[in-house]
Formats: sequence, structure tokens, C-alpha cells
Amino acid sequence: MIEVAGAGFLSIIVDSGRYGHAHIGVPPSYALDRFSYVLLQYLLDNPNNAPAIEVMGNDLRLRFAEEMIFAITGAKVAATLDDIPIPGWSAIKARKGSFLRVREVKEGLRYYIGFSGTMDIGPVLGSHTTNLECNFGGFHGRPLIKGDTIPLKNVRARGELKMVPDTMIPSMQEPHMIRVIAGPEADRFVPRSAAFLSNRKDAVFFNATSRLNRTGVRLEGTPFEFRQEVEKSIISEGILPGTVQVPPDGLPIISLAERTVGGYARIAMVADIDMDRLAHIKPRDRVFLRAIDIDEADRLWRARRDALSFYCKKQ
Amino acid sequence: MTHMEIERFGEQGIRVILGTAVDDRTHEQVRRFFLYIRSLQPPGVIDVIPSFRSCLIHFDRDRADYERLSSLIVKTEREWIEMPLPQPRRFEIPVRYGGDYGPDMDFVCSYSGLSAQEVIEVHSSVTYRVFALGFMPGFPYLGILDKRIYVPRQETPVLKVPQGSVGLAQLQTGIYPFESPAGWRIIGRTMKRLFDHDQEPFSLFNFGDLVRFVQS
Repeated sequence: MIEVAGAGFLSIIVDSGRYGHAHIGVPPSYALDRFSYVLLQYLLDNPNNAPAIEVMGNDLRLRFAEEMIFAITGAKVAATLDDIPIPGWSAIKARKGSFLRVREVKEGLRYYIGFSGTMDIGPVLGSHTTNLECNFGGFHGRPLIKGDTIPLKNVRARGELKMVPDTMIPSMQEPHMIRVIAGPEADRFVPRSAAFLSNRKDAVFFNATSRLNRTGVRLEGTPFEFRQEVEKSIISEGILPGTVQVPPDGLPIISLAERTVGGYARIAMVADIDMDRLAHIKPRDRVFLRAIDIDEADRLWRARRDALSFYCKKQ
Repeated sequence: MTHMEIERFGEQGIRVILGTAVDDRTHEQVRRFFLYIRSLQPPGVIDVIPSFRSCLIHFDRDRADYERLSSLIVKTEREWIEMPLPQPRRFEIPVRYGGDYGPDMDFVCSYSGLSAQEVIEVHSSVTYRVFALGFMPGFPYLGILDKRIYVPRQETPVLKVPQGSVGLAQLQTGIYPFESPAGWRIIGRTMKRLFDHDQEPFSLFNFGDLVRFVQS
């Protein structure tokens, strides 16, 4: 069992995603930085889709009611266990009564905490992840708060204390270079706005606004300009995470994990290789969008899948 | 005849476009394709999202790829293109219109030049189709609205509308299954529950159902 003594800014239970119900509007709500999430499960010898806690903000405090192994991945943090500094991206042993405190986030936005046991919470529509807007899944459909206790079963107190080599830990520092592929409505924009999609040296620059959450990241900067004769919105249609949508005001929104349908022009799609980076965009961060073609996106994804295969043998 | 286009949608998506207009004929083709591909369950297909004119297929790249899936879709076209469709289910949804239940009724009246009672009559005299479900779990995009009560969306979405709010936007009407921010104009509210995560079927509506509103 884990006792929550302080929940940071926002802590929710997540997993690899809720799929198979998108036709009735149920979004995937997955752990936004999937690379960090998968390596967390590797460190803990957990199944690839085990529930974990996704946290934003300083001052998370957890008390371990029993002996176990835990790890923190994702954003780089300054953390202590019983007041002794501990490294991230490493499996660490906690004693009964140990107290974990994440004091400060140093780089990135969201971090992931997992335990060597199974969180004993029921799945909802086939997944343990939290749908925050509709309040289902996860921990009673809501963020963790001080005083909550998370039940764990099959807790393993012993095991190899693995670590992820530094070279595998991605940078989360701004500016964020986000590679994209042209989207279905790219042709609705004036050449000046769409040029970056065909000229790969031409990145477009934006700043992240404070309007960012698990649904999307709203950017500001020079607006994309619609061609004069075209409709500025589309007939609502399916979208996937990473769709870059442009509302009539021209300022793009990158869709994350909480929508299945959209009604704005889709100028681009974020390449899978950079999807995890989206989890670490903070208000005011600089964001560059740079186009690649789909074959390059595919090559990059395959290369990373091969590099990761060692870490996720169990499927 | 039919008009089918297949496009890639990012790295894990396929857009199957089954018509250009928002009409019953296109909707029926989308419904045929959606029901067929769901019954076929091709390996590696994670989700199929039907909407007004298309289906978006989300696939797992470890188990499927664009080339194979798109050629499967082309090859099997003959099997679904003439497929008889099951009768859509019909629903009557009781609505309390206006007042506190419909804070934008006055706006709709002044925009349309109709009285509240006329707006209610127009809204509840049409049988709508569920052209898509999305935005939130169980939210139905219903069409086609009578042009007389066409209204634009809110310029700035309202921060919170209650569960069950019935709204209008352009030629669509819809129902908010949860308390939510809203960009549609709210004219009433239903007490009917649209989504229950604890119990199958989770969503009251399916793609293609027929819905009529009844003043209560």
C-alpha cells in the first residue's frame, strides 16, 4: 500500500491507453510520455501496460506502507527517500515506512512513478487509465489527493535493481523540435503558411501558451493563414493523438490523448518519434515544427523500436 | 456509384472517405463500411472511428501496415458496397426546453426570428441521425438540423454546461453526456443518461441510430 502525503500539482493513474471504444467517443487517455512509461515498467519487471502515476509539479510525497521497489522516470527531478537524494530512471528499494519526496522538477514536465506490485484498482472499459474530463478509470476517476491510499497486491520486495543508462534518457529541455508530416487539410493554407511542409529546412516557430493539458497544447505565434476561398472548419472527422489542428484564428492546437473527433483543419500530424516530447512542453516554451516525409518518420520509429526492444520483451 | 478514397493519416491511420456531401447516401456507405470492417476484425486494427463522410482506421504498426490494410479495403469493396443495412434503432429523448435548462434559447430566437415555441417545434419535428460520436464519450453529432434554426457556434466556449445539455451548432444538434465546456448554443436539457462507464452498452447511442426529441 502507498499513502499519498502530498499529490504535487496533478497526479493521476495512467496506463498504455484505453482502446477499442473510439467509435463511441472514448479517447485513449494514455501515459503521455510512452517511452518513459515503458522504461518504468522495465525497471520494475512489470507488465508493459501496468498502471503507474503520472505527476506534474513539485512536492509529491508518498509513504511506503510495506517494503517494495519503485522507480521514477520521465521529467528529471530532484527527489529524496528518507531525506537521502535518489537518482531517477533507476529501480530503488524502499523500506516499510520509507518516505519519498519529489522536491523539484529540473527538466521536463511530467514524471512517472511505479511500484513492484499491481495497483489493486478495477479497470474501466478495459483500462486503468484516468479519463479526467468524464471522471472514470484510474483512482475513482479523479486525481490523487493528500490522504489517499493506493492498494497494491503481489508486492515484490526483492529483485534486481536495474537502471536505465544515461544515454537512453531523452532531453526534455526547450526549445522543442517537433517533426511533423503533412495533414489532410494542408492545402487549405496560403503558400507562405504551408511552405514549411515541403521545405524541410524551414521550421515554423511558436510559443506554447498556458492553455495546455492532456487534451492538447495550444500554441501562439504568427498565425497560419487560410486561403481565401476555403472553408476554415471541416466537417467533424476522426483524429488521432498528435494531430495539429488549426482553428479559424490560425493558431495551432496539438491534440494529445483525450479526443477522437475534431472539426478544425488538420495541417499536420506529429511524427510518432516526437510524440513523447509533447508531454514535456510547458507554458512559454519555444516549439519548432519541422516537416519530414512519412518514410523518414517510419524509419525513425523503426530504429527506436529496435533500440527499445531490449527493454520491452514482455508483451 | 460510390466514391471511395483511401488516404494515409499520419503513421498509424488510414482515412477511408466514402462521399463528399453530408447526406443519407454517404452516411449509409460509411455505416456499411464501418459495420463490415468491424465484423472483419483485421489483425492490428485498434479502432475504427466513423463520422459524417469517412472512417478513420487506427492501426498498430507492429501488427499491420498501410499497404496491406488499404489493399484489403480495396479488395473487399464488393462485399460491403451493396450490403443490406440493419434497421437503425430509434430513440425518443425527452427534453425540457428554455429557461434555466436552455440559457441560449433567447439567442436562438433572436437569430432565427422565431418564437421559443416555434424553435421547439422545429427542433422536435425532425428525426435525426447519429452521424458521429465523439468530442466526449457518448456525445452524438446529430443532423441534419432544419435551416430555420441554424445558429453559429459560440465565439468563446462557455466554461461549463450541465450534463444532458442539448445544443445547436450550424446544421447539427447534440447532447452533452457530461458536465463540460461547450461551444454549442444550449436550448434545453434531458435527464436521460447517455454514457455509463460501469455498464455495457456504455453508450446509449450507436453510430447510425435515429433520434427524435420530445418536449417534456
